[in-house]
Amino acid sequence: MRIGTNWFKSLALVVGVGMLLAGCGSGGQQTSGSGGASGGSADKVYVVGTDAAYPPFQMLEADKISGHDIDVMNAIAEAGGFKIEWKNTGWDPLFDGLDKGTVDIGISSITITEKRKEKYDFSDSYFEANQLILVAEDSPVTKLADLKGKKIGVQAATTGEEVVKKAFGDTYEGLKGYDDMPSSVDDFFNGRVDAVIGDNGVLSYYVNKVKDKKFKLIKDDSFEKEFYGIIVKKGNADAINKINDGLKKIKENGKLQEIYTQYFGNK
Amino acid sequence: MDWSVIYDYRELFIRGIMNTILLTAVATVCGTFLGLFISLGKMSSKRILRWTCSIYVELFRGTPMLVQILLIHFAVIPSIWGILYPGASSPEAIYSGFVALSLNAAAYMAEIFRAGIQSIDPGQMEAARSLGMNKGLAMRQIILPQAFTRMLPAIGNEFIALLKDSSLLAVIATPELNYAAMNVAKSTFERYPPYLTEAAVYLVLTLFLSRIVVRGLEKKYSTR
Repeated sequence: MRIGTNWFKSLALVVGVGMLLAGCGSGGQQTSGSGGASGGSADKVYVVGTDAAYPPFQMLEADKISGHDIDVMNAIAEAGGFKIEWKNTGWDPLFDGLDKGTVDIGISSITITEKRKEKYDFSDSYFEANQLILVAEDSPVTKLADLKGKKIGVQAATTGEEVVKKAFGDTYEGLKGYDDMPSSVDDFFNGRVDAVIGDNGVLSYYVNKVKDKKFKLIKDDSFEKEFYGIIVKKGNADAINKINDGLKKIKENGKLQEIYTQYFGNK
Repeated sequence: MDWSVIYDYRELFIRGIMNTILLTAVATVCGTFLGLFISLGKMSSKRILRWTCSIYVELFRGTPMLVQILLIHFAVIPSIWGILYPGASSPEAIYSGFVALSLNAAAYMAEIFRAGIQSIDPGQMEAARSLGMNKGLAMRQIILPQAFTRMLPAIGNEFIALLKDSSLLAVIATPELNYAAMNVAKSTFERYPPYLTEAAVYLVLTLFLSRIVVRGLEKKYSTR
C-alpha cells in the first residue's frame, strides 16, 4: 500500500513538472511573439531564417552560413539600413517560425506561388528560376510527360514536387520526396530514382560536383518561370517595405548582378 | 485546420500504413532469428565468436538508429551493390529499411534472448545433460521454451519500439506512414490533421500489437 501511494506521488510529480514546463514554454513564446509585433523601434534586429542546405543559394561553410541568397540578404539589409541576424532553421521550421514570430524574415530560394501568398507576404523577386529534369545521358526522356510511371526524386514541398504532382497526381506512387536535394541526386546516381526534378541553380551545381557520371539536364518548356522572393508573416508591412527598398537599391546599383555573376558566371 | 487533406492524400496514408506494417513484420522476423544466433554467439565458448557478437551488439545499440539508416542507405548498400552488380541500380529505399530495422532489432533481441536464457537456473541444463541430451538439444527442448515465456514482455516492448522506429525511415523517402504525414504537412501547410492522424494510426497499431499479439502469446505460453 505504501509503495502504491509513493508510486502515485512520483507520477503526480512528474506530470505536474511536465505541465509546468509546458506552461512556461507557451508563456515564453507568447511574450516573444508580442515583443516581435511591437518591435518597430529603429534598432530592431530582424531574425532571418534560412535552410542552409541548398547550395549555391544557401549553405553551411564550416560554422558560417554562406551562398547567393545570404549575400543578397546582407546587401539588402545594408542598402535598406536595417540590422539582421541569421538563423539556420531548416525548411519546415522556417515557415513555422514565421507563423510563431520566432523568425521575422525568410530567404531560402522560396519561389513566389499563389498558394504561399495566401499565407505569407512576399517581397519583389530577386532571382529567376526554372525547373530542370535530371536523367541518364542515354535516356529517351525529352519532356516531363515521358516520365509517366517512372520514379522521380524531388525535394519535398518544393516547386519541383509541385510540377510532378500537377502532371501525375497528388499521390503519384513514383514520387519520392526527399528532405534535401543532395539525397535525391545521390539516389539518382545510385539508380534508385529514374529522374530528379529541381531548380536550375541547385541541380546544375550538384551534378557538376559529381565527376565521371553520365547524365543530362532537360528543360521542359511547359514549366512556368519561377521567381524567388523574400517572405515575411502576412501583414508585416514594416519589414517588407524595408526589404523592397533595399532590394530596389541593389538592383539599381548593380550589386545584385555582381552577386549573381559571382555564383553563376555571366548570363 | 482542414481535415479534408487526409482524404485528398488517403492513398499516400494507406500505402504508408501498409509499408509500416510490412517493415515491422519483416524486421521482427529477421531480427528475432538474427538476434537468437547472436545471443547464442555471445554465450559461446569460442572467443572469436563471442567477441564478434559482442561488438555487433555494442555497435547497433550504441549508435543512433537514424545514423544507421543513413549509413546503410547512402553508403553501405550502394557500395555492396556496386561490387556485386556493377552498373546496376541499387535497391529502393524500402529495402534499406528492411536491412536497417532488422539489423538494429537483432542487437536488442540478442540481449533480450541472453537475459532470458541466463535467467534459467543452470541446474536445468545440468539435469538435461545428465539425462544424456547434448547441449544443442537441451537448449532447444529445455532452456529456450522456459526462457521464451520470461522474454515475452521484453520482446513485446521491442516490437513496439521497432514499429515506432520505422518512422525514421522517412528521411530516406521510404513511403511509410511518417513519410506520408510529413509530406502532406509540407505540401499543404496543415500540421494538425496529418500528424494527429499519424499519431492515431501508430497508437492503434501499437495497441493491437501489445493487446492482441503480445498478451495473446503471453497467455498461450504462460506456465502459471
